[in-house]
Amino acid sequence: MSDTIAFQDIRTLKALMHSGGITPSELVSMFAERISRHNDVSKAFITLTLDAAAAQAAGLTREDLAESPIAGIPYACKDLFDVKDVLTTAGSRVFHDRIAAEDAFAVACLRNAEALNLGKTNLHEFAYGATGENEVYGTCVNAYDTTRLAGGSSSGSAAAIAFGLVPAALGTDTGGSVRAPAVLNGLVGLKPTIGRVPTSGLVPYCWTLDHVGLMTRTIADCADILGLVAGHDPRDPASVNLPMENYAEALGQDISGLRIGIPVNFFFERSDPEILEALERVKAYLMAQGAKLVPITFPDMEHTRTVSLTVQLPEALSAHSAHLQERGELYGKDFRAGLALGQCLLAEHYVKAKRFIERYRQQTTALFDDVDLILTPATPEIAQKTGTVIVTRDGVDEAIGNAITRFTTFFNMTGHPALTMPCGLHPEGLPIGLQLVGRYFDEKSLFRVAHVIERHDAFSIPLPEVDS
Amino acid sequence: MKPLQKPTLTGICDQMASHDWTEAELDELVDPKLGIITGFQELLEDLDVLRQVDLGATPPALSVQKR
Repeated sequence: MSDTIAFQDIRTLKALMHSGGITPSELVSMFAERISRHNDVSKAFITLTLDAAAAQAAGLTREDLAESPIAGIPYACKDLFDVKDVLTTAGSRVFHDRIAAEDAFAVACLRNAEALNLGKTNLHEFAYGATGENEVYGTCVNAYDTTRLAGGSSSGSAAAIAFGLVPAALGTDTGGSVRAPAVLNGLVGLKPTIGRVPTSGLVPYCWTLDHVGLMTRTIADCADILGLVAGHDPRDPASVNLPMENYAEALGQDISGLRIGIPVNFFFERSDPEILEALERVKAYLMAQGAKLVPITFPDMEHTRTVSLTVQLPEALSAHSAHLQERGELYGKDFRAGLALGQCLLAEHYVKAKRFIERYRQQTTALFDDVDLILTPATPEIAQKTGTVIVTRDGVDEAIGNAITRFTTFFNMTGHPALTMPCGLHPEGLPIGLQLVGRYFDEKSLFRVAHVIERHDAFSIPLPEVDS
Repeated sequence: MKPLQKPTLTGICDQMASHDWTEAELDELVDPKLGIITGFQELLEDLDVLRQVDLGATPPALSVQKR
């Protein structure tokens, strides 16, 4: 079977399946063979569930395949998601023996939709970091240049799609951990509105900021999968009970008259000039399509990373308290350092940070009085070389993890939906990406604009040459 | 605000409910060498600036619901 099938999007695979060109069992076999060929380099998977997927595929009827847009299609999930009777390592030695008793909410939704889970993907230990470096399970590399990082923390989910090992994957996003690795690997990444996809059944990192996220090859696939995993679960206190939507309805709509906010501060600063030029081309195209660009100012960005960390670290410490006492020696050095810092912050610091988050939410929501969407670069830099510690731009040094997530972190605090997608190729051969941010629960507008951008040839990028 | 001293952290960890942190981990908080996230002193200084910002009656963030 041709390797090119491995790089097709879900809708194309479903059409092929419908015409009799391929069966779910053949898809599982093809991806299994590719995983055996590419996992040593990509380090995408920690645990494989190929036998279960093959058995499920063999039992699917024609009626089953008509059940959902993802029925019979393989996918993967970050190893923070529980899958019943399968190990959840969270990328750590600490959970070397943690077998899940039931599926996470999103995994259960995809199981009900007859999607085929091929396994659990690699990550930065406990999602604590944006580089995806993992001393236990290896560091995922970028499919466009294997000397560079895939980015993280959902590094394995991005690498799995980019290397043609699955067409879609679930990740988690606490500061950009889906959106950043997605675009660094030329993929679509979505962080839905906080509460839209329940986080129940995930190993928590920071309850206030954790989101379930999606990675796909196309906007249409992303819209289809969101329609399957969105829902309400009272076990997640952030979960919101709203009617389900048909997100795919937004595809193909024109954007004439839409008001798109362009930040005049923070989001277009201290970035690779090639990324800024790519964003200029996107802005020009959106205007040509009838959208109106509106300058906006984010009022209060100076301390956003401090606020985020001040919530993250005490919550991570609280989530890990029991394991830290029982298995403290099994934690990685960098995660323990963060937990120690969380121990020494004051309760007043934590509460003040949570109040700042509420202020960010109010201020950002107010911006949407004047615009329908906001456009920013996804990241200020392209994928960096493995082992990079500091990135220097315009004379300013920045820790690589902070640089990768500089434009994404803020929207985990506000909870607004945010989508990243590729919009060009850097002269160094690495993908460049943009980010679209919408009103609460208005993922449809993200898909509407993203689909218009995706359909324009000038913004498409070549596939990575992983098989050559 | 005075610069953070290691005996301060040692005292907190000895005398208040705390996990067991190694000497090296407390050293890292006072004099960061790993550069993993941020220097603790730097974070405390930033937090002191935030402490002085009056947020009025703004409550802590909870669920967004449909705004």
